[in-house]
Amino acid sequence: MSHRVRQVEAIEAGTVIDHIPSDRALEVAHLLTAPGDQFFLGAHLRSDNMGHKGVVKIANKELSPSTISRLALIAPGATMSIIRDYVVVSKDPVPMPDRFTAIARCPNSNCVTNHETVTTDFLVVRPSPLEVRCRFCERSFPASELVLT
Amino acid sequence: MSWAGRHIISIADFSTEDMLHILDLAASLERQPRPDLLAGRLMATLFFESSTRTRLSFEAAMSKLGGQVIGVTDALSSSARKGETIADTIRMVDQYADVIVLRHSHEGSARLASDVSRVPIINGGDGANQHPTQTFLDLYTIAKLFPDRLQGAGAPLRITVAGDLRYGRTVHSLLTALTHFPVCMQMVPVPGLEMPGHCLDEAQMAGCPVQLLPDLETAVAQSDVLYMTRLQRERFPDPLEFEHVKSAYRVDAAMLRSAAPQLRILHPLPRVNEIAVDVDTTPHAAYVPQAGNGVPVRQALLALVLGRAEVAVGSGA
Repeated sequence: MSHRVRQVEAIEAGTVIDHIPSDRALEVAHLLTAPGDQFFLGAHLRSDNMGHKGVVKIANKELSPSTISRLALIAPGATMSIIRDYVVVSKDPVPMPDRFTAIARCPNSNCVTNHETVTTDFLVVRPSPLEVRCRFCERSFPASELVLT
Repeated sequence: MSWAGRHIISIADFSTEDMLHILDLAASLERQPRPDLLAGRLMATLFFESSTRTRLSFEAAMSKLGGQVIGVTDALSSSARKGETIADTIRMVDQYADVIVLRHSHEGSARLASDVSRVPIINGGDGANQHPTQTFLDLYTIAKLFPDRLQGAGAPLRITVAGDLRYGRTVHSLLTALTHFPVCMQMVPVPGLEMPGHCLDEAQMAGCPVQLLPDLETAVAQSDVLYMTRLQRERFPDPLEFEHVKSAYRVDAAMLRSAAPQLRILHPLPRVNEIAVDVDTTPHAAYVPQAGNGVPVRQALLALVLGRAEVAVGSGA
């Protein structure tokens, strides 16, 4: 009989983000949680597909569209499951928007968005590995270079 | 897309048909001057960075079409010095003028201006990002020098860009524009100032790969157009390295003895040391007429965004 040990505690209800690049797990936990939230964090867990991965489980919370958009930026390729009464009611890849608006700062220090009050806007150039282009300065960046605001 | 009221911000916003339309209208206005076409229209020039050719040729273009010009030529004399934002400046100036030409050191400033302006914004250069009207005049110059070749007649034009291919905004925009045409692109970068990877990737994806040539001598022998760019001292951390490269990276009349007869040399100007003055009197020098082409091209753009292009090529009403 096969015997698998659960690597991160189960939750009764809430959201599970799986397949997070291992080095972004802490960042994802920071993004998705607020003071007082109950959450479980697993980092550098074994993964057949990724080698190592991160998992974040947040109890009694489902994510807003804005938060999901931020999640797509820092953990593209992650999956999101909704848990209700210990049952997985949905499990999907984190949806990749075609643009990221007002959630990150442009890494180009000479971009006008870093000198005036402007809503930043990045268009997805390539989904994997995720690359975005600033609508203002027109420079392209790997998603990992963007800093969430 | 309608031209009236359109902003001119980035080469990436224009289709092949758009570019050919601009070139055709520029040629028409050069052949047949229209001194009253923009009578009663006002152009505001907001140049928060220094400019000679761009500002003067825009002013000449507007004046030759019967329009008038107001402007700021020095950021220190404007409200920007008091901390006024670009958005507030544009919202104020668009109450005064029918079209605004903006040059600013921050990349993306023209796009921001277009987001808030009620009148067309023409990007006169935004930092290291875009200078689309320079690219249109470069295209116009190539089209005039090699009629029909840009549209595929005869062998593909061999166009070589040389010099600072990393920071030079004119070569990035020119490369983007030329991917719309059947040309053979080549490059001779100064070591350390190579073309950014994303520019090369985009050209490759557009079916216009850029071939690396070993040196300027090869470029002179194997090009129809050699597009030179200026080296800027501030790009070199080591002053000695700058002096070395400046001396090595130079086209002179002696080098042109091996040039293909049809070779034409372009440069967005100002030049420093990269083209010797003895090249000026050779038939290969085309950079002065190139600067002159800024006027009909900017006339065409002004007529288009102010909704007067059809009148320009029509009965003259």
